[in-house]
Amino acid sequence: MTRKSIWAVALSTTALCAAPGWAQDDKIIVGFATAESGFMQAYDKPAQDAAMIRIGEINAAGGLLGQQIEVVTADTKTDRAEGAKAGLTVVDAGADLVVVSCDYDFGAPAALAAESSGKVSFFLCAESIKAGIQGVGPNSFSASVLAGVQGATMAEWAYNKKGARNFYRLLDTWTEYNKGICDGFDYMLPKLADANLVGEDTFKNEDASIAAQITRIKSLPAEPDAIMLCTMMPGAVSAIKQIRAAGINSMILNGSGVDGSYWLSAVPDLSNFYVPVQGSIYGDDPNADVTAFNATYKEATGGDPSTQYVYPGYVMIDVWAKAVERAGTTETAAVVAELEKMTDEPTLFGPRTFNSEIHHQNRARYLIVETNTGKPAVVDEWTISAPIPVADLMK
Amino acid sequence: MIKRASVARRTIATPVILSVILLGFALLALWAGSKPFNQTIIEIFLRVILVVGLYIFIGNSGVISFGHIGFTCLGAYAAAWLTIPPMMKGISMPGLPDWLMQTQLPYWGAAGLAAAFAAVFALIFGLILMRLSGIAASIATFAMLAMIITIYSNWESVTAATSSVIGIPIVRNIWPYLIGAVIAVFVAWGHAISRTGLALRAARDEPTAAAASGIDIPRERLIAFTLSGAVMGLGGALFAHSIGVVTPDTFYLGLTFTTLSMLVVGGMGSLSGAVLGVVILSSLIQVLRWLEKGMQIGTSTLSIPNGLQEIALGVVMILILIFRPAGIMGNNELSWPLARAEKPDHGGA
Repeated sequence: MTRKSIWAVALSTTALCAAPGWAQDDKIIVGFATAESGFMQAYDKPAQDAAMIRIGEINAAGGLLGQQIEVVTADTKTDRAEGAKAGLTVVDAGADLVVVSCDYDFGAPAALAAESSGKVSFFLCAESIKAGIQGVGPNSFSASVLAGVQGATMAEWAYNKKGARNFYRLLDTWTEYNKGICDGFDYMLPKLADANLVGEDTFKNEDASIAAQITRIKSLPAEPDAIMLCTMMPGAVSAIKQIRAAGINSMILNGSGVDGSYWLSAVPDLSNFYVPVQGSIYGDDPNADVTAFNATYKEATGGDPSTQYVYPGYVMIDVWAKAVERAGTTETAAVVAELEKMTDEPTLFGPRTFNSEIHHQNRARYLIVETNTGKPAVVDEWTISAPIPVADLMK
Repeated sequence: MIKRASVARRTIATPVILSVILLGFALLALWAGSKPFNQTIIEIFLRVILVVGLYIFIGNSGVISFGHIGFTCLGAYAAAWLTIPPMMKGISMPGLPDWLMQTQLPYWGAAGLAAAFAAVFALIFGLILMRLSGIAASIATFAMLAMIITIYSNWESVTAATSSVIGIPIVRNIWPYLIGAVIAVFVAWGHAISRTGLALRAARDEPTAAAASGIDIPRERLIAFTLSGAVMGLGGALFAHSIGVVTPDTFYLGLTFTTLSMLVVGGMGSLSGAVLGVVILSSLIQVLRWLEKGMQIGTSTLSIPNGLQEIALGVVMILILIFRPAGIMGNNELSWPLARAEKPDHGGA
């Protein structure tokens, strides 16, 4: 290449980078800065589909504040730097609500971009306390329920409804989510009279064998009543399989991360296995509207919801639209103020509460799904007796 | 002295032209007035800093380093330690020493210290690594990267382990990044024409003859390694301020190979190549992204399937390396078109 052609290249690349900026007002726009490619897409897409169903319902019923809700999207490509750009892209496109990735780590850059532009942001299904005021800022919310509530719910429910007294805690240290479940369990256990922690252990999601941990459970004087298993896919399947293969028949308590029947064939005839869920994907939700929603979801996407993580997307648009309706505007401060007034606001998937201290659920109604001989079904529902204090969640 | 000044005068055109190109991008971002486009240009400037940082060591010494992104990680976390409000640090990183816990600097001060912090570590690592050469040195630098990332992924009380570190003030103004990139370019130029830079390039091309002429090869490499560590640390600090979040896995293989391939495509032995490699590949990525989204041309919308961007980028890189094996610039530098006939190239010297 000659010098001249190098100059031509340099100049033409400069010229190619021109992009027009635009801004829109007096429309109601929801911006999705979520993953349309990369591994987070598997988490973001189902929840986003559910959000789109709620937007469709609102538009069909005449819209929000008399206007149709419009949607803009930007792909984060499951990359943090792209996430920040995606957040700015939807803000520039006039988004009044910025929806960001399910996971805290991957959603935070876009949420921070929205926060610095003074927009309301919602994590699709993040379950860390940081997905909100504590991590992003005063205009950030999460549509799901804290991981700690899941651990606390399972402990309290098993204690009250199953008579469990001796608990064993098995933590997979891979993610914040796993640690969150066990933190909630740790918070609840001392509050339960004569409940004991007979042992605790850790493993890593990628461990091929947890034989050492199982040996320690087996060498206890008596089999524990319940094992609090704080883990997630993909390692969860292997851990559960090994526990059962070793002949340990204690009830296994989990977080919502192992919801779904897609993996059950790997552990044939699994029984005595309990998961908290926000709504049932198995067609037996006590609320018939949830089953109707599942049918709508199937119609819209061609498949049944595969896990309960579809539902927070629907809840998110629902509570945000209500707040906008009450505020009479999409202006950030007014909408946040209305969201913070919500106390036990009814939604399809249980009541939701936000206040000026926490933009997340530190207490929520959970359905308890029991898997019996390989068949999951809703057997009960439980709401923890008191919300988990923010100070305990910040540990 | 007289000779040195004349080398500087003969070659000053290169950093000046490169800076003008970068300034052109900054003005383009201002003119476009779009926030995501501004962020794209910021990202290009950050890559320029990182790739120029790589060039200072790799280009002059000929030793390929897979470990430099480790210094970026050190710089990014140092910036986080120095700029996050003390209250937030107390929650996420309780193990920090008290004096650091109470420190809160403006971003530019923190970026300078972060560069110095990375340079100190580059010096320490370099004292050991620079005795190696060839593939052994490359593997050792990779081991260093793995070590830094492993420590930062597990030292819970000081780096918050794999959790995102938040609370870093976000800087969306384009000028600090432009200044950072221009500083990197001038540092690289200054080093390349200095006595040690020339000695290092001599050692790259003819190690035996260079050593016989009295060049202490490990020493010259160590100087370049430390200097490039500082530039990488500066890049890391500015990276942290550009998105406001740092995690260790951001600074691992993905970024290592992106920056290395930009350097290789641009031309490893040339500062202009380092800058143009970034500018050309980043522009190409951006155009392909727009095409993925669909671009309005006249009355019809042109769009390509999602994911084609990565494939097209790969194909372009292969083509460049087939037809320009030494990279776009080879060993040449940009200089004034009129002046070039009278003077020999210095870049590949």
